[in-house]
Amino acid sequence: MRALVVVLSVFFSSWLWANENISAKQLLKDMANAVHHRNFDASFVVVKGKSMEPYRWLHGNLGGTELELLSLLNGAGLEMVRIGDKVTYFEPKSDPYTIQTDSIAGPIPEVLFKNIDSLKDSYDFVLGGKGRIVDRPAQLVRLEAKDDSKYNYWLWIDTESSLLLKSAYVNQQGELLEQLQLTHISVTENPTEQLLELSKKQFPAPISGLLQTIDSGAKSNWQIGWLPQGFELLKSDRHKLDLNNELADYYLFSDGLVDISVFVQRPLPGQRPSGALSSGATTVYVHNTGAFDVSVVGNIPAMTAKAIAESVKRPL
Amino acid sequence: MAQAENKVAEELTTSEIFDGELPLNAGSEARLDEQKFARYALIGDVMRSDKQEAPCIDITKSFAIALENEAVHSVSVPQQETPATKSNVVELSAWRKPFAQVAIAASVSLFAILGVNTMSSDPAQPVNDTLQLQSTPFAGGVSPVSLSTEPALESAAKGIRELQQQRIGALVLEHQRQSRMAYALQQTGEETQIKQEEKEQ
Repeated sequence: MRALVVVLSVFFSSWLWANENISAKQLLKDMANAVHHRNFDASFVVVKGKSMEPYRWLHGNLGGTELELLSLLNGAGLEMVRIGDKVTYFEPKSDPYTIQTDSIAGPIPEVLFKNIDSLKDSYDFVLGGKGRIVDRPAQLVRLEAKDDSKYNYWLWIDTESSLLLKSAYVNQQGELLEQLQLTHISVTENPTEQLLELSKKQFPAPISGLLQTIDSGAKSNWQIGWLPQGFELLKSDRHKLDLNNELADYYLFSDGLVDISVFVQRPLPGQRPSGALSSGATTVYVHNTGAFDVSVVGNIPAMTAKAIAESVKRPL
Repeated sequence: MAQAENKVAEELTTSEIFDGELPLNAGSEARLDEQKFARYALIGDVMRSDKQEAPCIDITKSFAIALENEAVHSVSVPQQETPATKSNVVELSAWRKPFAQVAIAASVSLFAILGVNTMSSDPAQPVNDTLQLQSTPFAGGVSPVSLSTEPALESAAKGIRELQQQRIGALVLEHQRQSRMAYALQQTGEETQIKQEEKEQ
């Protein structure tokens, strides 16, 4: 009898284990599905070190067309509106513009609401413990970077509604660097009035010709010798920066979850050491070679940004 | 008089039948006011907001006719409001105007402040494995009082620091903007890749 119990329990625990292994990925898919199909009104905060950014997030599904509004509520503000596959960004002091894409680039990486299978080469999907977030039962799902030079991303998902309750960038030491936490969410039967109102408005036409613009001239200007595993070049060109009108050779890389920008610029006057700045998970590393400055910006560890910046050389 | 009494009785009967207090049979049906019954049913439907079957009573037409015949008292052509046609683009909310002075995104200014703290650290010290990572103080770290008494050399250094802060602000903002396109770029990249592969096959 005892043997039978042991056999049964072994069988059950292995079955449970297998079952849970499937569900880390499945949970993420369920979350994406829930976010796309439900009508909700949520508020969340993003905590970066000592600073905090509050957001309001409205989502609706009106007969298959998704309506979404994400607003940054502090400071100068930022509003992002999505109607179906067009996202419009409203920023202070500049004209609104629209991008033809089906997800808002907010504080939550877009890929998590989309095809997460594209992440499987760079990240492991691991099921964590259960907890309580915003008074709801939550299941932790960890995206563990296969490469130590990147951050991990953790998500806490509502076990009942499958909606996202909390997420965080976590370094290799297990410290939460930047946290996103829902403070309130209400799921409604129909999209809110505000969204319906928005859907009737007119928005700027999408920027045309959004293609992978890899300018061969700019690309051959510099050699970027090292990147963490899984990063691909998405864009390279030479353009002036909006704020200070400085010219820069620009490179955009992504591994599907995080983006890295590399800027190569004329050096600023004066003796300046190279160094890193950070706010939450975002690192800015400025490397001063003497002949040119390399700056790396992205949600990556400072040591990684430093390694990328120092690997930039003039082509032989 | 008798007719009036009869009417009251009919009304009562209709109401009773409607409420199910009186069985509907040949005797009671003779005294049923059909129009009234339909009206009761309609009222019930509306109150339960059963809109599907409810007939639509359109009074706008009669209003329009009545208005047309109405004498005009003050002739003033209503001014056409045109700001919407200037640009067809929606302005999201009112804060955008009064707060425009706040200018750059909050996160950018946070980085700029951080720039002072780390970038002016001792140049002799190698930055290798001892990278100083600081989280950002929300309110500024530089006290304005000390600035007025700075010697010329230091104020030149301050100018450079400001340039650097500006640059860092510009970099962070540019990164934010560019990374908005990243996902779309990746998607189109994957699509063209798939198409190319299909072509090759």
